[in-house]
Amino acid sequence: MNKSITELHELLVNKKITDKELIEESLKKSHEVEEKYNAFVTICDDAKESEITDSLVSGIPFGVKDNYSTKGILSTGSSNTLKNYIPFYTATVVEKLLNAGAVMVNKTALDEFGMGGTGTTPHTGPVLNPWDKTRMCAGSSAGSACAVASGVYPFALGSDTGDSIRKPAAYCGIVGYKPTYGMLSRYGLFPFASSLDHCGVLTRSVLDAAIVTDIMKGQDNHDMTSWDSSHIHLKDALTGNIKGKKLFYIKEICDIKNYKDANSTLKEHFKIFNHSLELLKESGATIQEESIDIDLLKAISSVYVVLSCAEATSNMSNLTGIIFGPRSDAKNVFEMMKEHRTLGFSPLIKRRFIIGSYVLQKENQERYFKNAARVRRIIVDKMKELFKKYDALILPVSSGPAKKFDEDLDILDENTNILEEHLQIGNFGGFPSITIPNGFIDNLPVGINITGNCFDDENVLNIAYTLEKMMPYKGQIAKEK
Amino acid sequence: MSKFTKEMVDSYADKLLIGLTEEENKMVLEEFDTIDKTISIIENISGISELEPMMYCLDDIATNLREDVSLPSIPVTDALRNAGKTDGREIEVPKVVE
Repeated sequence: MNKSITELHELLVNKKITDKELIEESLKKSHEVEEKYNAFVTICDDAKESEITDSLVSGIPFGVKDNYSTKGILSTGSSNTLKNYIPFYTATVVEKLLNAGAVMVNKTALDEFGMGGTGTTPHTGPVLNPWDKTRMCAGSSAGSACAVASGVYPFALGSDTGDSIRKPAAYCGIVGYKPTYGMLSRYGLFPFASSLDHCGVLTRSVLDAAIVTDIMKGQDNHDMTSWDSSHIHLKDALTGNIKGKKLFYIKEICDIKNYKDANSTLKEHFKIFNHSLELLKESGATIQEESIDIDLLKAISSVYVVLSCAEATSNMSNLTGIIFGPRSDAKNVFEMMKEHRTLGFSPLIKRRFIIGSYVLQKENQERYFKNAARVRRIIVDKMKELFKKYDALILPVSSGPAKKFDEDLDILDENTNILEEHLQIGNFGGFPSITIPNGFIDNLPVGINITGNCFDDENVLNIAYTLEKMMPYKGQIAKEK
Repeated sequence: MSKFTKEMVDSYADKLLIGLTEEENKMVLEEFDTIDKTISIIENISGISELEPMMYCLDDIATNLREDVSLPSIPVTDALRNAGKTDGREIEVPKVVE
């Protein structure tokens, strides 16, 4: 299970290993990882073998974040409000992988309904980082990142509304890819904030991310925001040639002088980042610095909170405990719903709903909701203007490696800095965005992110692939400290 | 002094059919203050009020509308499977009109 998709496929085709053995190994590893890191909601012990075909994923075990609907299999969104929910249909992207012969072996834990960046709020308890159990995996796709990094299988599905694939990937030393908005159908994904929600994948190499996404992508009549991507071939686009490509980074984020009293970890993080830039230059790319209004960058996290909370409040209003979810014994319908929601939602989710409701009130809409949406436009327009000049944006992920559990309680405070939140730009504009591991600080992995213009996924992945080839982190498995 | 109050937070929570503990209420208040400060900065961005709010990820996307034809729907038994109490083809709830 430490191998890549293509390596496993070759072993299966040449009958060096059977599908049955592969599934058994993955299930055994799932139970070990559950015991150590609490990464799963469900382990599918009855997973069946599938026929080995030309499809590279046939017979390969994989994981699915528990906010994807899976027919006949518990799908909780890691929330007590859906702790007994069993869907009667399967999400399109999962269905496509199953049809290609991939074998789902578990459902992974997440921050409740995807609303969180720590991996500490699943109803099954926090997910521990496989590099250091005293640290978080980040979120919300914490279980998927933990499992892929631990070598349970070569890939798992995630979802990304703010940075929920790309930050856990960095904290766990793996690859996390969120394609352009609408390239992957979201039919069957529990909605959080529909204008920001993306499906995506966590893997241990850029090639594996391309292989899986090539299978999952495509227009879907069940998702009107999906589009025809039949002209895009991600795997074939990985040439390793980026000569002449132009990348930029944002001065206000990357200049260490902007960080008062920068600690040694942050300095090391930027040193690693700058080394990655040098590698890209050696490959023939040019890198330039661009400046963006600091007030706009400072507004990113608040814009995200206002918009995502507003959309979430509306999307989650169907969670009443009447049509699905555990039912309250209260004698009155409203009391039933209130009891279900009060006891079912975690404090973080409640907070987000109240903020969402407040900013959507008629008297508050203009000042909060619409102004946030206007800033979203300014930021996206600025990025699109820059993407006319450049092939991609490159930035470090977070302010360093995975945080200790008591370092970040996922509360928006005045000290939240731009470095922690900038990946949300990728969701504001639906930009394709990928994180890959680019080094270690104190034996803990750190990541780098590459984001490009909409529909330019082939280019973004090829840049990541080229950089990955020049570093020794491809395919790495977590080694606990 | 904050313009947000504990009573205000409880009132919004009640509208959402959510009960809050004292601690949860306090956390909402703190977050409101942070957001409000950022929104104040946003309000001062030149020409902000004239901009069209961006409500969707891709402004220029051609949405995929399917033909308006009736397709088979799911069996009622499947739709009711997750409901706590059912009566035939319907979901059972306590009497609403007293």
